Amino acid sequence: MTLIEAEDRRQYRATRRRDLAVDLGMALATVLAALTIGFLVMLATGNDPVRAYEVMLTGPLERSFRVGRWLEDATTLTLLGLSVAIPFRARQLSLGAESQLYAGALAAAAVAVFLPLPAVAAVIVPMVAAAMAGAGMGLVPGSMKARLGANEIVATLMLNAIAVRVYDYLVNGPLKEPGSSAVHSKPIQRDSALTPLSDWFGIPMGRANVGLGLMLLTAVALWLLITRTPLGYRIRMTGANPDFAAYGGIKVPRIIEWSFVIGGAVAGLAGAHLVQGVYGRLEPGLAGSLAFEGIVVALLARNNPLVVVVAGLCYSYLRAGGDIMEQQTDVGTEIVVVIQAVIVLLVTAQAPPDLLKRRIARKQVGVR
Amino acid sequence: MMNESWRKDGPAVAARAVTKTYANGVRAVRGVHLEVPPGEIRAVVGENGAGKSTLMKLFYGLEQPSSGEILIGGQPRTLRGPASAIALGVGMVHQNFMLVPSFTIAQNVVLGVEPGRRGLVDPKAAVETTARLAAGAGLAVDPRARVDEVSVGMRQRAEILKALHRRAKVLILDEPTAVLTPQETEDLFAAVRRLRDGGMTVLFISHKLREVREISDRVSVMRAGSLVGTVTTADATERSLASMMVGRDLSLDVDRAPARPTGVTLRVRGLRYEAPVGRSLHGLDFDVAGGEIVGVAGIEGNGQSELAEILAGLRRPTAGTVHVGGIDTAGLDVAGHRRAGVGYVPEDRLRNGAALDGSIADNLVVDRHDRPPLARRGTLHPGAVRAHAERLIEEYAIRTPDPSVPVRALSGGNVQKVIVARELSAGPRLLIASQVTRGVDVGAMRFVYEQLVAARDAGAAVLLISADLTELLALSDRLLVLKDGRPVARFDDTTGLTEKRVGLYMLGVEQHEQDHLTAGLEDLGEAS
Repeated sequence: MTLIEAEDRRQYRATRRRDLAVDLGMALATVLAALTIGFLVMLATGNDPVRAYEVMLTGPLERSFRVGRWLEDATTLTLLGLSVAIPFRARQLSLGAESQLYAGALAAAAVAVFLPLPAVAAVIVPMVAAAMAGAGMGLVPGSMKARLGANEIVATLMLNAIAVRVYDYLVNGPLKEPGSSAVHSKPIQRDSALTPLSDWFGIPMGRANVGLGLMLLTAVALWLLITRTPLGYRIRMTGANPDFAAYGGIKVPRIIEWSFVIGGAVAGLAGAHLVQGVYGRLEPGLAGSLAFEGIVVALLARNNPLVVVVAGLCYSYLRAGGDIMEQQTDVGTEIVVVIQAVIVLLVTAQAPPDLLKRRIARKQVGVR
Repeated sequence: MMNESWRKDGPAVAARAVTKTYANGVRAVRGVHLEVPPGEIRAVVGENGAGKSTLMKLFYGLEQPSSGEILIGGQPRTLRGPASAIALGVGMVHQNFMLVPSFTIAQNVVLGVEPGRRGLVDPKAAVETTARLAAGAGLAVDPRARVDEVSVGMRQRAEILKALHRRAKVLILDEPTAVLTPQETEDLFAAVRRLRDGGMTVLFISHKLREVREISDRVSVMRAGSLVGTVTTADATERSLASMMVGRDLSLDVDRAPARPTGVTLRVRGLRYEAPVGRSLHGLDFDVAGGEIVGVAGIEGNGQSELAEILAGLRRPTAGTVHVGGIDTAGLDVAGHRRAGVGYVPEDRLRNGAALDGSIADNLVVDRHDRPPLARRGTLHPGAVRAHAERLIEEYAIRTPDPSVPVRALSGGNVQKVIVARELSAGPRLLIASQVTRGVDVGAMRFVYEQLVAARDAGAAVLLISADLTELLALSDRLLVLKDGRPVARFDDTTGLTEKRVGLYMLGVEQHEQDHLTAGLEDLGEAS
């Protein structure tokens, strides 16, 4: 290796280290900037921002059941983030997490309510059913895109509309608990419930359950899938340049389908988590707006499964803190929406960190 | 205002100790001192990635130096963008033209500096201005023609006129001849000389040394970001310049022992292809033996691309048979072709030859990511992928600080080396090499040639498709000529064959008899 090459290599490594530091620093700065804007908004609307932030940022950790509330929410949200991160990796803009989640919830409930099973199977079989239902729900737009050239954004959105209506119909009609005035299904069998964390730690943890561990395992599994398997490589190359992937002998349509199927299965698991761990039955609109916030979480994490976990936990923390803030102060959760929106805007903007990196690079050379 | 701050004495453009480090850590220009006096045609040559394009971007304000000074008109300047460079009298004609396709040439020329009053453009004045500039510079254009309807050469002349309209005193031409026919190149050179005689300073970027010798007054040679030296063109030879570019003595000839063909490796019979768009193929019969290089000549768009993609499995033929080493590949998918031992260097490497945002390591394994030693029992080992990349980077002299660098950060020649490394390291039985040296610098070109000959000598059948006749005649053991999707000539011995003679067949002036085209081929009837 020549002297110049050795110097280039050293400099390249230094640049990579520096870029990582800049990225982390920017993430922190982004959150601070968003909080500052929230602070100013609250000040302008005549509220006490210091008190509101104190409640919001420390609230979720103050009582164990609030921690449970946060973790339960984070589990669903992160699973949904993971479910879109995989198709995003293949450059497929799947917005179908909602339909996949409801398909999964229905499948999990169908098994967990109606099918008597021995102890361990009673937990696992509904989850498998949910994953399969979600995967099937993902395969539909995936195939439409891969084989028929349909636009995946339109296909997934339309399928969401259908799935949500079908779900509403079933919960209000055939699956509604007979004799109950409220709209929900019969509760699942006791054996099918995901063990609450309260039972493990002996302190009240709300509805948080072992689904949390399951979510972490899923994230690690997906990270391994993406970085350590041939299928993951094919998904990455299909996302990077489908023409190149096809030239290299990768069956691109099949990989696109796989990315939808895997994402669908994970969204189905999120449905199972809501049914078996959180609500214990089917309820109308049980996903709320989580499916779309999952997309935000995936974007924040740049579709890296492990980072999705971090992003999901942080994002949920803000949601949980916002709820507590609304209860305890005059400030509404709207302010949390503002803060989240600012974070999303800043993170999706790539330019500022690049500018900073360039400036540092210039300064370093100047010093030499 | 513009140009007034130019000093009479001193260089028109100059760089003093200029270094440029990109944000991704790549140092493209290292401590360059360069002075170009007014009224000179200065060629700047160097391999791809030598830093010549970056240096020009610094002069044009597209990039800012990390350290050092840029001088224009004899004074140090801070160029915040092309606008400030243009205001100082610097014009640049890019490889990819910056014109509005739906506007006329006149509209494009005056764009931004339109004649007329109170915000209204005077279209008549625009046409007149353009015609006057064109006549003065000897650059023939039709001011009223729409840009998307005129030839590439006229678009380029419009770009130059655009710079003249902005009163450029320095004109930067980035690889201007790459898109031109020989006739257009001659006209361009005549116009450039005329501009020079009128006091214009011209920076001419190229790696075609023959043209550099023809047009420039002096030549500055760059290598690995540094300025190696500046010589008077009259004192330089192509060979001496090439040696300066690559830093060692370099022969431009290809050393090639006579081929020792073994058995038939590729057998094509009655190959037909109905193209939805592009060129259809109408019945091709030919063999390529192991251990020989068969060239495919033809004016571009006569079926070469389609043939290459069919043989690589990216398109399905409509009729006919293709056998590679005895395996019928006509019905197989791409992976099947690769299993049968087909390697393919695609003609447009940026479209499908590489994933630009992928790392070098990932780009090197697309055909083998699911096999040992890279993957075992369904697991892909990043360490093995990296080691594999490091080995090929070393073996194929790919210039990069690290295997994790995205391919986008590499120069054209190095991207091609990545592709060639991947395809040849697979040990192909048949290698289809399409436009292998397009946009590739001298050093890398020579390297690729050597590799092709080495693959041949190792027993591979090589089908070399190229628009460059010099290249075909230098490398091919046998030569086929395609015209309108049909074979029109077959030369079983390329010694003594001239470009001019092959050109007659390419143009359709002459044609070989069918019997000669298919002489000695077995199993001719099988597909028809």
